[in-house]
Amino acid sequence: MSNSQQIFEAWLAGKITASECEQQLGQNSVQKDDPNGEWYSRFQTAQMIQRQAKAPFFAPVPEIDTMSIFAQQWQRPAKSSNWWPKLSVAFSVLALVVSLSPLEMQMQDGGLTLSWRGGQQMQQQQLETLLASYRKEQQDYVQTQLQSTQQQQASQLILLKDYLTEQQTKERRTDMLELVEYLNQQRQSDWHYWQENYQPSQARLDTSAVYNPDQQRSGVRKP
Amino acid sequence: MFKRSDESLIEKAIGGDAKAWQQLVSRYQAPLYYFGLRLLGSPDDARDLLQDVLMVLCRNLAQYRGDSSFKSWLFGIANYRAMDMLRKRKATTEFTEDHDFYDDEAPSFEQQLYGQHTQRLVQQQLRSLPPEQRLVVELRFYQQFTFDEIADQLALSSNTIKSRFYAALDKLRTQLELTDVEQSANF
Repeated sequence: MSNSQQIFEAWLAGKITASECEQQLGQNSVQKDDPNGEWYSRFQTAQMIQRQAKAPFFAPVPEIDTMSIFAQQWQRPAKSSNWWPKLSVAFSVLALVVSLSPLEMQMQDGGLTLSWRGGQQMQQQQLETLLASYRKEQQDYVQTQLQSTQQQQASQLILLKDYLTEQQTKERRTDMLELVEYLNQQRQSDWHYWQENYQPSQARLDTSAVYNPDQQRSGVRKP
Repeated sequence: MFKRSDESLIEKAIGGDAKAWQQLVSRYQAPLYYFGLRLLGSPDDARDLLQDVLMVLCRNLAQYRGDSSFKSWLFGIANYRAMDMLRKRKATTEFTEDHDFYDDEAPSFEQQLYGQHTQRLVQQQLRSLPPEQRLVVELRFYQQFTFDEIADQLALSSNTIKSRFYAALDKLRTQLELTDVEQSANF
């Protein structure tokens, strides 16, 4: 494809203007690329025809009736607009769906309620399961706590028993000591009484029987 | 105003929309008629061609696949029918092709003086071309198709179309030069 042909086709394709095309083809004629001016002549002829092609054409266009063949070919008789069969089928399908599915329709207090059948039972069941689980958990906890308390109580009782036994022993010892002391005090008191009341009388009765610690005859001994 | 695409109109027409079909026909009626008029040279033949193409179009509307533009597809039908008519006419009788279809409506005095004269001259020269070359010139200049589109429509190679086109241009130039010489001699 020559350069001139490329220029000419570029003009035909609208890539360059007519003046640019004319100028470039004119240069090519001078530069011997298109010595006979063949492309330049073609350009001029094409330009003339193009001008004529763009001129308005005023011949009247005849009316062709194509509607009859179109109606015959593409138009279909209007479909009957009877909705009852469709409505009937739709309701049948709806009834089938309602009966097969767990969907439940209830009319109550003038209102229509749609619900899933068994939903309440399922909730109740879940609630019962949860409650049973909670109950078991609580029972286990109480059991554990009880065992722990019992063990604690047992150990504390042992401690208390030891404590009480010890205390009892201590108290018994104290009592015994107190008893011994009391007895001693009583003996002391008896001695003083004897010394104050009976010794002088005895002395008067028996001077020889004055209290003499070394004399064993009286049979009375100083505590 | 919003202009519906050809594809949209075709889709609606296939669905039975008469209005869409009417709109599609009115969009291409004039280009098809003028195409026939220029190519065949006779208003009656152009009318026959128009009717024929519209009938074929109506019957085969669903066969348009959108591979090319609708206009290109439509003119593919028109080209085939027009060439068929030209072949049949050549076989029966030699057509003079001197019908004058420019005198029906003349909108202005200026057009009568200059435009019609030049148009008639160019049309006469175009009609003297062989049908194949005339068709290529018509499709390239008047219908604004590219060489590739024309090649697709005519099921030929792009180079064949170009060679026919350049041959037509050369022949037209020779004839126009001869006409100029004759007119100069008459004066």
